[in-house]
Amino acid sequence: MNFLRLLLRNALRGRLRTFLTVCGSAFLMFVLVFMLTALSEMDAWQGTAATHLRIAVQHGTGLANSLPITLEPFLRGETIAPHGYCICKLNWFGGIYLDPHNFFARFATDHLAWRELFDEFAISQAHYDAWCAQKDSCVVGAALAAKYHWSIGQRVTVLGDIYPIDVTTEIVGIFNGPTPRDEEVLYFRWDYFDELLGGRKLVGTYWLKARTPEDIPKLKELIDAHTRNSPDPTETMTENEFGQQFMEMMGNVKGLVMNLGGVLLVIMVLMTANTVAMSARERVVEVAVLRTLGFRRIHVLGLFLGEAVLVSLAGAVLSLGISYVLFNVLRLSPAPEYFPYFLVERSTMVLALAASVGCGLASAAIPALRSARRPIVDGLRQII
Amino acid sequence: MSELAVRVSQVAKTYYRDQTPVPVLEHIDLTVPTGEFLALMGPSGSGKSTLLNLIAGIDRPTAGTIEVAGQSLAGLSERALAAFRSRHIGFIFQLYNLIPVLSASENVELPLLLTHLSRAERAQHVRAALDIVGLADRSDHLPRQLSGGQEQRVAIARAIVTDPTLLLADEPTGDLDKKNEEEVLVLLQRLNREFKKTIVMVTHDPKAAACAGRTVQLEKGALAVAPVAAG
Repeated sequence: MNFLRLLLRNALRGRLRTFLTVCGSAFLMFVLVFMLTALSEMDAWQGTAATHLRIAVQHGTGLANSLPITLEPFLRGETIAPHGYCICKLNWFGGIYLDPHNFFARFATDHLAWRELFDEFAISQAHYDAWCAQKDSCVVGAALAAKYHWSIGQRVTVLGDIYPIDVTTEIVGIFNGPTPRDEEVLYFRWDYFDELLGGRKLVGTYWLKARTPEDIPKLKELIDAHTRNSPDPTETMTENEFGQQFMEMMGNVKGLVMNLGGVLLVIMVLMTANTVAMSARERVVEVAVLRTLGFRRIHVLGLFLGEAVLVSLAGAVLSLGISYVLFNVLRLSPAPEYFPYFLVERSTMVLALAASVGCGLASAAIPALRSARRPIVDGLRQII
Repeated sequence: MSELAVRVSQVAKTYYRDQTPVPVLEHIDLTVPTGEFLALMGPSGSGKSTLLNLIAGIDRPTAGTIEVAGQSLAGLSERALAAFRSRHIGFIFQLYNLIPVLSASENVELPLLLTHLSRAERAQHVRAALDIVGLADRSDHLPRQLSGGQEQRVAIARAIVTDPTLLLADEPTGDLDKKNEEEVLVLLQRLNREFKKTIVMVTHDPKAAACAGRTVQLEKGALAVAPVAAG
């Protein structure tokens, strides 16, 4: 026997109580992991955005209004060239593919600038050449192609909902991204999109690349100053800022999630504390006996704290196991239209385990201290 | 080893009920030579268990000094007292007080967790202790699977497994039937005679006290005038 075995035996002495506490902890921890994963998914694509020096130009009144095509010559002109390059149109097409639940990003884009703008994507030269050669073609991410069992040569029709057109394109290329999330996209050609719209030259956003990080504020200043007094003022921002505005549309979700997470942890602490307090009360005499045998206060503290951490960790491991199977193995998503991928990150797992250890320690602290401090003779006199 | 296992000098113990002092022991002087089997007798509330607790180092006297195996307990920190108990004291309780979720051998092994013995050495000590009390074949049984007498013998094995200087027994037969009572008393006598264990036993049963080499009477917190020699 050793101390760990003693911990285990004590933790399992009230099997039903321990089982219920573990289940309760697991449920709360599952909700916490779920919320943390939602947060990490929200942040996921923003995390890498800063490294690409991409700049977005949108209409000053918001994404609902298009930019004039007349802005393009300015962006390609000599004022911008020293600071930015790779000018690329990007229109969010939206639409429905077979079923409204089949959500993935669909963009109309400048195929000639796309490869340089999104240089984190890997596409074979043959696939890219095929896209450049055929106006009604598209390229799709590898994860998306795998999800819908698409292959080269297959035609895909997306029914328009934002725009009054349906787009049918032929898949001629498949690209790979740094993560599966980056591969949940279909890009078709902007010139084909414009042709379907009858040449209305509607530009959702312009994107370009800054030459250096120092050029970013200069580009923002130059572009927005150029359009300031025009009917179509612009708002120029970094890719991160572009992403953040969607988060802001959802209100302070992050703050809300963090607050709810805090509440869940408090409930976990109280629940486990109740179990530990009951256990400590039942073992007053036993603790006195252990101390009579020569066990020190620190041993008693360790036994109670260890037991609480063990129960708390068991709940966390159970919840993480369930989460991992549901989200990482079976690839289920609670809302595919918002989270095509809902992957529990390693950092979330570590955080959940750390939180469960913290909860275990916090919940047992008072009962453990009281047990350790109770005079031995008082403990031996105790009648339960 | 000191010739005196226990020396109690002018020990007093006063408890406080609310603000009112309740003296339990007054001016106790007692010596227990090494190898002696001493019975502490007296009526309920006479302070027998309190004196035993003070000798065990699980309570502190209000006045006076106690030495066990030549070591004064006065001024020892909680940590040092715990180490002292682990090394010198084997305690036998009236209600056995075994840990219900541990088997007989695991209960006996408990005090050895505080030593530096290896797992194999601990197992050897446990086997030897259970052999002495005649329960080697019950080592895997949980306390609830043992009779009261067997539980008390496991508790005795737990008390002797570290080979302590002093065995303290607080009414060890108080909760047993006649047959088990006799078995436990015979076992204590054997530990005293065969293994030379110094034993201080609290009892209010004259028959139990008769097994001891010497009997001391406590009345109203004070020792009776002359220690009574047992027959």
